[in-house]
Amino acid sequence: MDNTIRIPKIRLGSREFDVFYIWFAVLSLGFAFGVVGAYQVLRYGLQVTGLTDQVPWGLWISIDLSSIALGGSAFVFGVIVYLLRLKRFEVVGRLAVLLGFLGYSTASLVLLFDLGQPLRFWHPAVFWQSHSLLWEITMCVILYLGILVAELLPIILEHPVFSEHTLIKKNNFFKKISEFLKKLSHFLHKAGPALAVIGLSLSLLHQASLGATYGVLSGRGLWFSPTAPILFVTSAMGGGTALLFLLSVFVFRVMRPGLVADKTLYDVARISGAMMLLCTYIRLWDWAVTNYYSFDNIVATQKELLNTIAPYSLAFWVGQILFSLIPGALLLSSKRVRNFKILTLAAVGPVICAIILRWTYNFSGLIASITYDPFTPSVQLNSYLPTWPEWAVGIGVISYWLLGFSLAARFLPFHSKEENH
Amino acid sequence: MTDENKKPNKTGLPRKGFMAVAGSATGALIMLQASKPTKASRNPSGAEPGAHKWGMVIDINLCIGCNYCTYACQAVNDLPVEMKYNKVTLEETKTGAEFYLSRPCMQCEHPPCVHVCPVGATYVRDDGIVTMDYDLCIGCRYCIVACPYDARVFNWKKHVEPNAFTPEYGHPEVERRPRGVMEKCNFCEHRIDSGLARGLVPGIDAAATPACVDVCPTGARVFGDLNDSESPISKILASTKTPIRLREDLSTEPKVYYIPPKAEVTTSSEEEL
Repeated sequence: MDNTIRIPKIRLGSREFDVFYIWFAVLSLGFAFGVVGAYQVLRYGLQVTGLTDQVPWGLWISIDLSSIALGGSAFVFGVIVYLLRLKRFEVVGRLAVLLGFLGYSTASLVLLFDLGQPLRFWHPAVFWQSHSLLWEITMCVILYLGILVAELLPIILEHPVFSEHTLIKKNNFFKKISEFLKKLSHFLHKAGPALAVIGLSLSLLHQASLGATYGVLSGRGLWFSPTAPILFVTSAMGGGTALLFLLSVFVFRVMRPGLVADKTLYDVARISGAMMLLCTYIRLWDWAVTNYYSFDNIVATQKELLNTIAPYSLAFWVGQILFSLIPGALLLSSKRVRNFKILTLAAVGPVICAIILRWTYNFSGLIASITYDPFTPSVQLNSYLPTWPEWAVGIGVISYWLLGFSLAARFLPFHSKEENH
Repeated sequence: MTDENKKPNKTGLPRKGFMAVAGSATGALIMLQASKPTKASRNPSGAEPGAHKWGMVIDINLCIGCNYCTYACQAVNDLPVEMKYNKVTLEETKTGAEFYLSRPCMQCEHPPCVHVCPVGATYVRDDGIVTMDYDLCIGCRYCIVACPYDARVFNWKKHVEPNAFTPEYGHPEVERRPRGVMEKCNFCEHRIDSGLARGLVPGIDAAATPACVDVCPTGARVFGDLNDSESPISKILASTKTPIRLREDLSTEPKVYYIPPKAEVTTSSEEEL
């Protein structure tokens, strides 16, 4: 099998540039900007953000929710590769594990800045409050991040630098380390099915709980709904797999042609299309129920206000229906479309849809909140605008994600050496 | 294929040792959860659990909207100007009659903020007061989002300015909280606890009563033990036909009651007829 990696290049006149280094420089700048923002936040506290007691969760929480959702392909493909034992997905599954790790580590990173007391990030792990959805999510994310590391480590350790470097042959110490890493990698690989089962349970638990975080708050009428958990799970599976398809086309078709059969990529697209259509179906019912069967005046006013003052209706129709219905249908019929340009373009839809769903979910209940006065309760409109340190940290963590992905796209051994066992 | 033929236990990793360490770590963590030293903080006055149930009645008809309750609270709890445990707002009845709504923490029987806290930093004491452990709080702000009464305030920055309400409205009686933790009205628990220890009766003796109640110039606020049928608050509640609580539809069961404006009582009784 052809193992050469084709690096995308830019041609300027007669000279050719390796895109990778330019891209790497841009991302490093973004990351550096994030470090400046992070310093502001840690030094001066959350007063540097645009958050208030009325809108206490903002840009960072939206990034956190979105990056966890877009890491959703990791558990889907953990099951496909290790439990259903569909070998042809093994290479794509490795990319899924990477996306999972990047998504969850990005989320953990941005949450660290969102905490009022960042140094107490470990408190939920020690001081349990098992009634809290946020506690459950924290525990799941910590454990699942551990699982993702255990799944990612053997892939990284397959890089020749850990087994064939000249230092290893010369130096006994490095040789011992190399042997240990090989054993560790083998052990973790063997544990794959168990990790997949635990990963599946943890993922389903907390992806749903992220929706329930909002869904259980009876004081916020617009959020108080039992559909949020299932919407969050299905959109994470659909959006996450769509992102996996998008990046698979880049990593495998553009950079490593021939490593993954087109048929397998079509199947990834179909999984994402099916999940996205399921999510949209549930979303439409949720929309219909909230609109037609809602007997709660306050909820109705809240919706009306959001639709008039903010483009929430646009975000719904374009973001959650158009971006998921048409692309979902296209992705589902990928074997008939058979055009990777159309399919990759279509895959952008579900990714944006998963992000918009979380964005509007987070803000709708906070922007339009219900007053507590006893006789004439009304809807109070709050405003929120992220400040530059918030954007800086946001850009920084997104740059981190892209840096991780870019490095992996170039250096990660996606093609297993232990293929024949 | 050589790797495949090896038995898994020959991978060279001390798996048993690992399991033992992981197992005992998990065990220790669970033991820690069981032996959490919360008992003392739930019942600092040392009274019989459930002996007291502190509550408040606010007579809307007597409230003149002077905001003294807010200021006294900010003085005693050493709060910056922009952080208010207690808020006074101008509201309307269904007929359009205006009235002042003065709102401390509702001290719910089923507080949404306590259910959502991921670390148990906010909890219900044995006497029903919903309070905070500032050393546990991580500042995630889920409790502000959950509270339907807008009663929680966050320390967005470090409070360094001198107290703006001292000495006119009182003197700081508690330590300042650090940046990045949540805080809330706790019925001046420090006054209740030290008062009970000195044999005072909260609600009757001013030194053991919340600052907002002491300062109210019209006596619109009455504080006391809801479990004691002879306490002033129980007597007022018994003699009031229709005491109301805020957002009763949410089943949070607040321990702060309001005597509704007369205009509202007449219209609603007319509706019933």
